[in-house]
Amino acid sequence: MNIEEFQEALFSQGRAAGLDDMEIYVSQSKEFNVKVFQEEVDHYSLADVLGVGFRAQWQQKMGYAYTEVLDQQSVGLLVDQAKINAQLIDSEDEVEIFAGSDSYPEVQAFNQSFSQVGVEEKIAFARELEEAALAKDSRVISVNYAVFADSEDDIYMANTKGLCRSFARNSAACLVMAVVKEGERVKTGTEYRLGNRWEEFDAKKLAEDAVDEAVSMLQAETLDSRDYSVILRHDAAADVLKTFAPVFSAENVQKGLSRLDGRLGDSIASGPVTLMDDPLLENGAATAPFDGEGVASFTKAVIAAGVLKTFLHNLKTANKDGVESTGNAHKASFKSPVGIAPTNFFIQPGSASLRQLMETMDDGVLITDVQGLHSGANTVSGDFSLAAAGYRVKDGKIANAVDQITIAGNFFDVLAAVRDIGTDLKFGMGGPGGSVGSPSLWIDTLAIAGK
Amino acid sequence: MLSEKLMSDVLNKALSSGGDFAELFMEDTRRTNIKMLDGYLEDAVSGRDFGIGLRILQNNQSIYAYTNDTADKALLQMAADAASALRGLPGENGLVLQRSTVPSRHPIVEYPSQVDAPRKAEVMRRAHSAAKGYSEQISQVAIMYADVEQDVMIANTDGLLVDDHRVRTRLAISSVASKDGEKQSGFYGPGRHMGFEMYGNLDIEHYAQEASRIAVTMVNAEYAPSGRFPVIINSEFGGVIFHEACGHGLEATSVAKGTSVFADKLGQQIASPLVSAVDDGTIPNAWGSQNIDDEGNSTRRNVLIENGILKGYMVDRLNGRRMDMEATGSARRQSYRYAPTSRMTNTFILNGASDPEEIVADTEYGLFARYMGGGSVNPATGEFNFAVNEGYLIRNGRLDKPVRGATLIGRGADILKKIDMVGNNLETGQGMCGSLSGAVPADVGQPTLRVSEMTVGGRKEEQS
Repeated sequence: MNIEEFQEALFSQGRAAGLDDMEIYVSQSKEFNVKVFQEEVDHYSLADVLGVGFRAQWQQKMGYAYTEVLDQQSVGLLVDQAKINAQLIDSEDEVEIFAGSDSYPEVQAFNQSFSQVGVEEKIAFARELEEAALAKDSRVISVNYAVFADSEDDIYMANTKGLCRSFARNSAACLVMAVVKEGERVKTGTEYRLGNRWEEFDAKKLAEDAVDEAVSMLQAETLDSRDYSVILRHDAAADVLKTFAPVFSAENVQKGLSRLDGRLGDSIASGPVTLMDDPLLENGAATAPFDGEGVASFTKAVIAAGVLKTFLHNLKTANKDGVESTGNAHKASFKSPVGIAPTNFFIQPGSASLRQLMETMDDGVLITDVQGLHSGANTVSGDFSLAAAGYRVKDGKIANAVDQITIAGNFFDVLAAVRDIGTDLKFGMGGPGGSVGSPSLWIDTLAIAGK
Repeated sequence: MLSEKLMSDVLNKALSSGGDFAELFMEDTRRTNIKMLDGYLEDAVSGRDFGIGLRILQNNQSIYAYTNDTADKALLQMAADAASALRGLPGENGLVLQRSTVPSRHPIVEYPSQVDAPRKAEVMRRAHSAAKGYSEQISQVAIMYADVEQDVMIANTDGLLVDDHRVRTRLAISSVASKDGEKQSGFYGPGRHMGFEMYGNLDIEHYAQEASRIAVTMVNAEYAPSGRFPVIINSEFGGVIFHEACGHGLEATSVAKGTSVFADKLGQQIASPLVSAVDDGTIPNAWGSQNIDDEGNSTRRNVLIENGILKGYMVDRLNGRRMDMEATGSARRQSYRYAPTSRMTNTFILNGASDPEEIVADTEYGLFARYMGGGSVNPATGEFNFAVNEGYLIRNGRLDKPVRGATLIGRGADILKKIDMVGNNLETGQGMCGSLSGAVPADVGQPTLRVSEMTVGGRKEEQS
């Protein structure tokens, strides 16, 4: 069965079973991944996969089912399971299947020239990541990640209300992690690059940056426990923002799971902070012409100059609040029910370089790495306590490396305590839940625990 | 599933360009996930995951390909494409698969796919009522129900052909307590390699009340102090710290590449003599158990540490080649979309001699981590971090008051040596472990134990 045959069989069998509106969400992906270790291709994978998500209304309730096989058995399974699951639902929230927006934006998400890059070139790239890292410094004992991966994804949505749309996206990621050793001390340094422009992938630079960072941490010491002025470097800042992005979801607000409830129009961040959600960003990792419900995408400021402008909505939450959907309906995969997530979500860069930020801060700590976000952060309260590493800054310059510390604070306090913002916007590694980026942020103070 | 003829043809094709070993992993999985929020069933998703992964090895190189197109032509083409990544001469073509059966150690009574959805909802309602009714401070309760039936078949060029049925059931309870605009959460997530009969033996109300008790205790707690002092880690889910800080470093994935702090340390004292630890995938119906691993080898009980001496690693086929060691039944993967690698199953520290109460009584000042949250570790450096979901200050040998927001950091190798008391109350808890080959169910466990000194990150200066 091909998709068209499957869709037709599914909708007609669904109707016969008494289902009302129905929708399919199909993702087709071609994936490639290569990892080099000690000059050998340690891992090399190819994939060609398809998945069909199905949702259907039965007496105003929505039921979900999915399959990875297009056959008659799956048609029956999807119809039966979606109906059983719809019958279970007792939430009173109104859900709808969407007929489509009036118009859809043109987006640049698929780069044709990137899809022409050959396998040999990609393998050579991964080899160079390892080679360049080993060549950079004699203290590099191993490169445990020298990886290049890419994928081409086609998303297709169609429903019984007449929506029928698709788009394609390609993206690549590479990662290098160097392990360095001096005496008994072992440290790692990691660099990555995302995107779909081959010319922006520079193996040598990434590898050397990873080694430099690892080597600089070899002499790291812990700090005395107290409050410090802190710069969260772009990558650490993006990690923190990504963790707390759910507080901007209207669903969490409506369920009392966000402290931003009732704060629309209030100043919730310091003046320099503008937070954007931009699904139209050229070649962004989450760029798309429509969201997980088929609503047309558009760009919006969530925080403008410190003021909270909007929450992120899908049709259900927008309906509840009496506003329009912001086009943030999110399906983490074809298997997932519709939720809410940001798209390309980032803090607008400021005007200071990282060096200038350090000079103005004068005395404090530059945090370059935070760990433990999935466990040491409470998205409901905003509290976090995270393992961290970075550099002690004295007289506006890096004095020494620090590790084995924790930084603790509250996300909402941090937003209000941003004193200045760097120019160095960078997006973090992807994953479900949107593509989140940040420039470096200078924060008034955070509690640091060390010795 | 595929015919034996097709499996042999695909495997032969896979060795057409120098590969010395090939393996097929076929999966047909049914899942149901149901979410209840504040007593309302919000989302229910059921589905079928179906696909085939092909792995080819040539010395230390590994090629992996996967698809859910099972047409003969598509599979043979996939094998040809994957093989083309290698350079070499074709292998022999005479593969004969020998079907073997592995007796099940994990009897399943009631397959979840045969259980009516309303019975699943009923279990969730019971959990919700118990959690919600615990205290007026409980402002929200979320219940997640999950069941999965995974049928796998594994065939390889050694002639192995074996299948396994894994059935897992889990209920997760998250409670949020509110007080004066502050919110804190508590969690419990019991699960087993078992069917719906799990609920017959499970005190659902107890777990639901525990999740709420943690949330309420924490919303009424002060912030934890920072500094370095003794930490007592409770039994059960407290074992997550050993799992993350030491277990990952004992997986061949990092040992084979010399990137683990425990590489080349077999036979050496790596922990306090009070510490013995095992990884045991054979425990009947335990969450992390299965009859065979995802390379088709029987799971085993592997002794990792005995009286502080490093005794063994968890080894998969590919890394076993690098280490010149035999595989230990430890190869796992989330699904056909992942090549297998060495992973933990049910991993725990064994009982010691101390009474848990005696450990607290022996501690003048410190932190009692009663319920641990998650954490992570960098296997190369052994540096870890963990959240303490429920903590208490200890003063003069007694639990003083609850404290929130504590994070424990350190290096696994240091902590192992600083364990100075081990209790006699071993229990296990359930988690999902994420690593190279995806997220797999894993039990963690330990008796209550004390680490003589650890860095605690909190929001207050230390005060003695």
